[in-house]
Amino acid sequence: MTAIDGGRNSAGWRILVAGTGGQGVLTVARVLCEGFVERGHDVVSGQLHGMAQRGGSVQSSVIIDGGISPVIASGRADFVLGFEPVETARAIPFMAAHTVVFMNTAPISPFVLAQRTVKKEDDASYPDIAELVSAVTAASPRTLALDATQCAVDVGSIKTLNMVMLGCLLGSGMLPCGADAFWSMVSEKMPPALRDANAEAFSKGVVFAGGLKEAGAAS
Amino acid sequence: MSSASRFEILQDNPGARACLLGNLGIVRGALEAGLQFFSCYPGTPSSEIGDTIARIASDADIEFEYSVNEKIAVEVAFAASLTGARSMCAMKHLGLSSASDPISSMPYVGVEGGLVVVSAGDPSAITSPNEQDQRHYSKFQYYPVFDPATPEDARKMTRYAFGFSEETRLPVIMRPTTRVCHASGMVEFAALPAERNTVKFTKNPPRYVPIPVNARRMRLELTERFKKAETLLETSGFYPRTGSGRRGVIASGVAYAYTAQVLEDLDLLGEVSLLQVGAYPAPEKLLVAFLESVDSVLVVEELTPYVEELVSLVAFRHGRQISVLGKRSGHFREEFEYSPDIVEDAVRDYLALDRRKKSTVTIPKLPPRPPVLCPGCPHRTSFHIVNKVFGKKTVFCNDIGCYTLGYGEPLNACDVLLCMGSSISQASGIARMTGNRTVAYIGDSTFFHSGLPALANAAQANDAITVIILDNYITAMTGFQPSLSKNGDGDGAKRADGFSIEAAVRGLGVEDVSIVDPFDEDATKSVLKSAKAGSGLNVVICRSPCVVHEHRVSKDFHRAPFKITPEMCNACSACVRVLGCPSILVEGSEYTIDEELCDGCELCARICQHDAIQQVIPEDA
Repeated sequence: MTAIDGGRNSAGWRILVAGTGGQGVLTVARVLCEGFVERGHDVVSGQLHGMAQRGGSVQSSVIIDGGISPVIASGRADFVLGFEPVETARAIPFMAAHTVVFMNTAPISPFVLAQRTVKKEDDASYPDIAELVSAVTAASPRTLALDATQCAVDVGSIKTLNMVMLGCLLGSGMLPCGADAFWSMVSEKMPPALRDANAEAFSKGVVFAGGLKEAGAAS
Repeated sequence: MSSASRFEILQDNPGARACLLGNLGIVRGALEAGLQFFSCYPGTPSSEIGDTIARIASDADIEFEYSVNEKIAVEVAFAASLTGARSMCAMKHLGLSSASDPISSMPYVGVEGGLVVVSAGDPSAITSPNEQDQRHYSKFQYYPVFDPATPEDARKMTRYAFGFSEETRLPVIMRPTTRVCHASGMVEFAALPAERNTVKFTKNPPRYVPIPVNARRMRLELTERFKKAETLLETSGFYPRTGSGRRGVIASGVAYAYTAQVLEDLDLLGEVSLLQVGAYPAPEKLLVAFLESVDSVLVVEELTPYVEELVSLVAFRHGRQISVLGKRSGHFREEFEYSPDIVEDAVRDYLALDRRKKSTVTIPKLPPRPPVLCPGCPHRTSFHIVNKVFGKKTVFCNDIGCYTLGYGEPLNACDVLLCMGSSISQASGIARMTGNRTVAYIGDSTFFHSGLPALANAAQANDAITVIILDNYITAMTGFQPSLSKNGDGDGAKRADGFSIEAAVRGLGVEDVSIVDPFDEDATKSVLKSAKAGSGLNVVICRSPCVVHEHRVSKDFHRAPFKITPEMCNACSACVRVLGCPSILVEGSEYTIDEELCDGCELCARICQHDAIQQVIPEDA
């Protein structure tokens, strides 16, 4: 185990990916499935929540080894990748003290808030992000928050946000595959248009998770 | 079928393992059984079955169609089976209701080539107006019903079902639910067949024509064939038993996967006897053997207590006095889908274990993200203009499709809704009784599905209704399957040139028919005004392609986004109050447009009285 200890309470690795439609949640789930199946693991996965429309909440599970149910039980996620602060907080029931959470701090405002604001209804503001981070940290002290959207913008495309988050997960060093080996395996199948930006985004995530590991910041 | 197919699902590589979606497990199972004919009407959560077969149909030499509706999908597939072809059709649970008429007579007549009707269930009504337990078709209409728990179950049950269907001459129902259809799991491929059934229709009217004299004979044969089905299922392998304790658990569907997972997580898999019921009619012999080996039983199944009642009856008939727990005992509820948590609570209660520790963490109040019409969606402008012309007092009857999202604030485009095609009939009923002109909204695919007969019905009465057909050339809600109103995009679908909705409408005797582009506000308004002033039935076709689909098929389709100039915006809120577009954001009195989301439809700019909304001029322009 690495400096970020914990991370599993089951025979395998149970990962929950949460975000909003259009952020690439399903792509990350698919890449994880394909990558770990290619490495010889058994994978079970499911879309737990969400409709295809742009902007809705999306939750996907990926269970590497030992999975029978595609639905992760309360407190039994080993990893949560939260692409958006409200959506990460929505995933709190899946977390427990052992869960490693990577949480993007950049918000996407739900459209209902605009409606509530103009109608002068309650709860019309986006929740305070610091409060969301502390709520998630209260559920799981192994929460690592980062502005992954900014990382994605820095490498040239907001569409690479999901690869930053994927990099965090593999960069934790806690999955049964190293980040470099995983990337060389899955990147071949990616569309060429975003390949370089994706690679850069992925390594930003890896560096983030790895940097914390060296500093022991999350232990 | 070549072993080096360009499609993974068509590889002839027995023993290979892959992680497949449950729906694709069904497809693979059908391919391994030598599928020759397939039809479907898309519906969540079944749609990926048809969409996958559409792509591989020509490589796999499968006769494929996206049918006009489920009743027709079933009838065409049944007739294909009568020629000896192994046939399958797919739909959601509501589609099976729609197809109930042919479904009820098919077991009487019986099949030639194996026939599998896939009817995907939706417990919790996640994408449906209701939840249904289609297992009742087993008792109700004499269908063997398969109830997979995992993608691998889906594959092997489908593979088995075709031969089983031929042996019993019974059509069968494959009934996966959302968490099976849309879960991915490990599947082990079996070989693809070297040969498929010979196709030939041999005339034999007494065998194929259920007129009363034949139907009564068929009825007696049906009883025998259904008994045979139960006997065959005894050795099917779909009732696996694990563990050896005196405390028994019987589970079905995805609830079986949850139960197995919970018992494994609690390290109890060996100490509890767990039986999966994977198909109906569940062989009484197997149930009796299980009941004799345990002192009590907890039944874990979603929706109605189907297995629970069966097990209670079997226990009673065989004098086995043990407690059968489940819904009646309060361990489970009858409504909505289960989860590992729900199952764990009941299992802990049943085994007298401590309850799960409740989490002490509080979740902050979070805003919901309900599905909304996409930015740039032509339905939004149609609803907006209709609202302006017809006003709040008009009753709006809506239908099944993306446009159902016109429900609620701010578009308020849905006062009543029932099922596919019901908007027109409901408008007829309301208009006739209230004496007020009523509006029906219906999409192109739903119009052909079941709107046509409803329109014929309204035309014969000349009801004072305005039918607004929202034609976006595509079945968008279920994943962009081709609609009859436009030529298909390849995908294996054989289509003539797009059917003309207006010709179909005029053919029913409706004279007052108009076609407008809803983004042309002046023209649309004037057409709607005259429709409102009309005396009888009139039809307005609002025609504009689905923008999401346009982006999918054309890389060049791009409309520059809009932005709000803060100095010119006086925060009147009209754009938000009227349109409900998710790309307009408000923080206090600051209005902005998310340029990533904005699709450049210009609707908000037209609404703004202060010219505060302008198109972003691209930097390289």
